[in-house]
Amino acid sequence: MDLRKNNFLGTATKKYSIFMILFVLFIICSFANPNFLTANNLTNISRQLAVTTILAFGQTMLIISGMLDLSQGSVLALSGVFAVSVYKSTGSLILSILAGIITGVVCNFINAIMVSSLKTPPFIATLAMLAMARGVALLFTKGQNILQLGDFIVFGQGSLGVIPIPIIFLAVIAVITWYILKHTRFGRSLYAVGGNEEASVASGINVSNVKYKAFIINGIFVGIAGVLFMSRVNAGLPNGAVGFEMTALTAAIIGGTSFSGGIGTAMGTLAGAFIVGFLDNIMTLTNVDSYMQQIVRGAIIALAVIYDIQSKNRRTKNALGRIEDKESKIKKA
Amino acid sequence: MKKRLIGGISMLMSVVLLGACGTTGTNPSDTSSAAKTSAANGEKQYKVAYVARAQSDSFAAWLANAVKEEAEKYPNIKLDVFDGEANDEKENSMIENAITNKYDLVIVQPNNGEAQKPYVEKVVKAGIFAITTNARISGIEGASSVDANPYEQAAVNARAAIEQIPQNAKVVVLDGPSGNFHADERRKSWKAEFFDKRTDVKIVGEQIANWNKDEAMRYMEDWVQANDKIDAVISMNDNMAAGAIEVIKDNPKYKDLLVYGVDGTAEACLLIQEGKMTSTCMQSAYDLATKLLDTSNKLLTGAEKQIDTDIGNPLVTKDNVQEYIDMHKKSGAIK
Amino acid sequence: MDNNIKLRVSKIEKSFPGVKALDKIDFTVEKGTVHVLCGENGAGKSTLMKIINGIYQPDSGQIFIDEKPVKINNPIQARSLGISMIFQEMNYVPEMTVEENIFLGNLPVNKFGSVDWKEVRRSANELLKAENLPYSPATLLKDLTVSDIQMLEIIKAISYKSDIIIMDEPTSAITLKEVEKLFAKIRELKARGVSIIYISHKLDEIFQIADEITVFRDGTVVESHPREELDIETVIALMVGRKLTNTYPKEEVQVGENLLQAENLNSKAAFNNVSFHVKKGEIIGFAGLMGAGRTEVMRALFGLDPIASGSVKIKEKEVNIRNVREAINNGLVMLSEDRRRYGIIPVRSVKENTTLSFLQKVFYRLSYHSKVEHNIVTDMFTKMKVKTPTLDTSIQSLSGGNQQKVVLAKWMIRNPDILILDEPTRGIDVGAKFEIYKLMTNLVKEGKAVIMVSSELPELIGMCDRIYVMSKGTITGEIERKDFSQELIMKYATGTLISNEVK
Repeated sequence: MDLRKNNFLGTATKKYSIFMILFVLFIICSFANPNFLTANNLTNISRQLAVTTILAFGQTMLIISGMLDLSQGSVLALSGVFAVSVYKSTGSLILSILAGIITGVVCNFINAIMVSSLKTPPFIATLAMLAMARGVALLFTKGQNILQLGDFIVFGQGSLGVIPIPIIFLAVIAVITWYILKHTRFGRSLYAVGGNEEASVASGINVSNVKYKAFIINGIFVGIAGVLFMSRVNAGLPNGAVGFEMTALTAAIIGGTSFSGGIGTAMGTLAGAFIVGFLDNIMTLTNVDSYMQQIVRGAIIALAVIYDIQSKNRRTKNALGRIEDKESKIKKA
Repeated sequence: MKKRLIGGISMLMSVVLLGACGTTGTNPSDTSSAAKTSAANGEKQYKVAYVARAQSDSFAAWLANAVKEEAEKYPNIKLDVFDGEANDEKENSMIENAITNKYDLVIVQPNNGEAQKPYVEKVVKAGIFAITTNARISGIEGASSVDANPYEQAAVNARAAIEQIPQNAKVVVLDGPSGNFHADERRKSWKAEFFDKRTDVKIVGEQIANWNKDEAMRYMEDWVQANDKIDAVISMNDNMAAGAIEVIKDNPKYKDLLVYGVDGTAEACLLIQEGKMTSTCMQSAYDLATKLLDTSNKLLTGAEKQIDTDIGNPLVTKDNVQEYIDMHKKSGAIK
Repeated sequence: MDNNIKLRVSKIEKSFPGVKALDKIDFTVEKGTVHVLCGENGAGKSTLMKIINGIYQPDSGQIFIDEKPVKINNPIQARSLGISMIFQEMNYVPEMTVEENIFLGNLPVNKFGSVDWKEVRRSANELLKAENLPYSPATLLKDLTVSDIQMLEIIKAISYKSDIIIMDEPTSAITLKEVEKLFAKIRELKARGVSIIYISHKLDEIFQIADEITVFRDGTVVESHPREELDIETVIALMVGRKLTNTYPKEEVQVGENLLQAENLNSKAAFNNVSFHVKKGEIIGFAGLMGAGRTEVMRALFGLDPIASGSVKIKEKEVNIRNVREAINNGLVMLSEDRRRYGIIPVRSVKENTTLSFLQKVFYRLSYHSKVEHNIVTDMFTKMKVKTPTLDTSIQSLSGGNQQKVVLAKWMIRNPDILILDEPTRGIDVGAKFEIYKLMTNLVKEGKAVIMVSSELPELIGMCDRIYVMSKGTITGEIERKDFSQELIMKYATGTLISNEVK
């Protein structure tokens, strides 16, 4: 009986440790700088995080299913400049966001073809897309920023009541991701495919379908992120968002998504993103220099991964203990 | 069946996508068509290689476009553009290829002066004319150069700022990537020409925003939270300056904020016109391109053996901004 | 007598979080003998072996070698004390050569400090020759069979001059012939004075090779006897702590119409002209040597591999199964021989592993129904006697037998008509085996059909109504229950006899 209680506590702390870290960090930041705990600042942080966190949700689904997307930053830029130019030529916000989403989806559909149908490792396939999408974005704009976006900036800078629009997008996408992972067959299949692809096939999961869907949803998220990003910076930047996929991966990993596949949650990723966001924010508020900020960011990733590996070791050890325990229970039964 | 359909559609899509790239992709090579016809007329035609730092850097792209345009005015010059992809390795091999392919003149826009220096020396050694530009690589025997002076570009702003920035002002500074020649020179210039002379001014925030607008926005948003007063933004380029302005543009508290940049981008010119930005220094790709081609022509026709020249560093303020906006309109950057 | 003792452990205790794995273990191994350890999975044998090999440290107790107390901190130290362990699941690098493998971690160096490959080649050749192994030192491991690699491991142990060799389930993946080779080797080692600790589930084997048998249960030594004093039934009884009245709970069941009929199935390379059928209420077996094509036939039936030609009828209706989903929809499911690879999603919970085959049951009306899932799984686990701490426990932390039952539960929730079980009892303990047999019996009583592929002839003979025997990709014989005998099966399996009825 004691054993079960321990296990339960163990899983509970493991499950919620990320939120405890977030909470502790929040408290520390609040004391470290009086400007941290202001509505304005917290809104700021959320707005700054919106784009990369939306990417992180796409990344989370892909990592859970044993894949990843290195092309997010480039595809974001491509979607963004397409959306901006559609807006400039049609003046329609709806058409422009659609253009962004379609671009994201098309690029990720190609990713999915390479990964699922042509069996290219996701790392390589999306690396190829990283180069291609950026190239197309630069060609399309001849390397020049697109300016004077007019009302297009409403996506990134506008508000609905007191809530900035990017935060609304972020919240909606967070809920969608949570819903997909928790409440759909597709979500459950993502975990299975990432946990053991061959066993998933042998259990009747349509693995190829799952991979296509994962990339396409990622594409939708990247497209939306592209629109938000360009709108926020009030320019179509073909060379913008370089390396955003890494920030997104960082958030997902800190949030407890396991690179070996099969493990991860939407809320974990959200927490992971905010841990990074809080840290960046408090470091700038307290004027920590740029080099130091990079060191801290790197250290956080290292810590998160070490924690992941350590808890995996612990899991195996517990597992050993539990086998013995169970066998003895059988005897008693 | 479904799978095959999906496959078919996707191939179609990729072909369309690639096709789209293809059509735009062929444009650059068209620049030489004028030259070809003239070559047919029997005139001696020179092959010039322009090795760009990176097509993804907006100034570098503007310069490459301007050089291409300018080259069309010279029927005796056939220009090919190469992209160094912001990578020393890549750029160096592009230079080597140009030697192998026996170009008559090689223009190098270095990614990192020191890294490209030995390769430009190879060009000279191979008996090929070499020009370095934006930024020049100095100390190569026999090589020519065309550049703007980054120290001066910042200095013209700094000298104006000495008069404009109020006593005991609080300022924030946005830096370019460290190790970058222009970033370092511009920052050095601000120190010598402004901060050393105005010890009353306090820097309340300084971060590397890597020339990027979005990174600058993030830092500015945080600084606005951390400080109840900011009098001026000193930015090492216009992109970052525009990012800072994006954050406070609708905030009445900052309507008198002074913002300084460098480069003279279309966006900066518009902001100066609107009165949101104080000044920048025009680094005109057109001027550079004009000088580059002129220098090339002089070297190739044997008029001169070696040339070092700078373009001017005009300060752009509200008073003279219209002239530059017209220039950007001409280039298509402002519609 | 006492100075004959090579290894002695005294009062060894070891706990893992929340559970006592070993409780005051006393145990001795004599020089030049084979000491067999048996016990169900999780009884503590592997833990003890890992302590002796220095992988784990005991909480208390003492290990003696040649009656001198020793402390073993790691496997390298164990090796220097003359202890080598050959693991159940061998981890090797497929691209490595034989010689690299032998000298791994122990490569001779020349005076310049670089590897002396000449010396490596020379000693490797010498070793291989001494052990009568026909391959060259430059052979890649991937080109060897499992038993070759096992031999290599043994050679490695010899090259370290080990005089205590621990073998953990060495015969779980090799053929009968290879088992003979292994046993010959073991006898030879014994003659040289090497002590061997041999862990196995296969009781018939144990009695061929053991000098002394120790039975573990619940982390304690139950009893330890010379082989002559024990028989199989006694050992089983000691292992499970109760007497199993019937090893194979076979019952007479009314046989009905054809459920599955395969005719002239061909694959590109693995099998040809395979025809068989299974009726309602029948358990049929597939016997044959490794590589006879049995698994390949089943995989093709289940839609995992393509069928080149032939026809399959389920309930007298022609079907064309191209993937697993279609097989499931036709009421056909398959438990794979390789549980880790095709059976479980290791990091996910037992609950999720169970419902994976039937997600529509728990995801409907646009949401996830956790209570429904909980009920489905609880019912099935009760029915199948799955032992798990919670439904959220990850499946990898269960014992092999319980994992196997979860994988079975995954298929049972589909309520299939035809169940293919490929090596369903491999690597699981006696208690769990019995429960799986019991389940098979219950299924056919419900009017389903079971196809069992197995390499263990006793269980085929014990459970099946008919047995098909395969050899080199074709069915060489079909045997009715009344004619079952190991000899007949082996004759068909080796291809020395080919039945007239089966073309």
